[in-house]
Amino acid sequence: MVKARCGRILGEDIYIEEGDTTTLYFVNQLRAYQVMLAALEALDQDVCHDGCSLPTTVNKVIKRLSKLKNDLEVSNVVAEKKESLLSKIDNFLAEANRLPQDTSQTCRKSAGECIIGSDCFATGALNLINVVTEPKAQKI
Amino acid sequence: MQTEVLGNQIQGLNIVLGALQAATGGICKSCIGLEGAKTKVGKIAKKLGMDLQAAAICCEKTKADLQSRIDSLSKAAEELKVAEECACQKTAGDCKLGEPCFVNAAIDLMKLVQ
Repeated sequence: MVKARCGRILGEDIYIEEGDTTTLYFVNQLRAYQVMLAALEALDQDVCHDGCSLPTTVNKVIKRLSKLKNDLEVSNVVAEKKESLLSKIDNFLAEANRLPQDTSQTCRKSAGECIIGSDCFATGALNLINVVTEPKAQKI
Repeated sequence: MQTEVLGNQIQGLNIVLGALQAATGGICKSCIGLEGAKTKVGKIAKKLGMDLQAAAICCEKTKADLQSRIDSLSKAAEELKVAEECACQKTAGDCKLGEPCFVNAAIDLMKLVQ
């Protein structure tokens, strides 16, 4: 089978066989988390560090990454590829775990420090996952 | 008010650049989308600098702080690593995530600043 490149995650080019939508699903999700986590790290340098939206988002990311890991574990992705992708999820989980997770802090809008309007950067960063529209989520 | 607007734009650009830096670590590095985004964020940083110079901010320290943040964002934009020869990675067949694009979505984060 011909293998084609479908992404580069944490510096490694990822190749999959044509039509392997199961592996492609996990690769595309990880491509999104790579960008999303960088955006959240940038937010952590800002007033969002002391707010509640960033930690709420980080907790969601951790939960979703953990689910993605479970889904990958029980999937039919070939063993070698599965190991490689699992280690990347572990890397992203470690990255996410270094970000704030205490949701008891006050929203920076309520505190009067975030004056960007009604939208929220943390939510915007989380929505980067919506860029991935193909392939559809696997039924596991 | 002008200080607030500039501060918000700077906040937004910082997040956009964080996302774009991550995109350079993916196949987007060779993508025409990222090449365009690099130009765009460079222009945004330049415009922020011009707006700051034209702004009526009487506190010199505030102005200097904002200028220094803009300078570092401008440098980060310049340093985005884009391949010498770029092509849309969807067209090249490498990017299979659907119609949307990480780079455009990252740039759109600026729209959160109202």
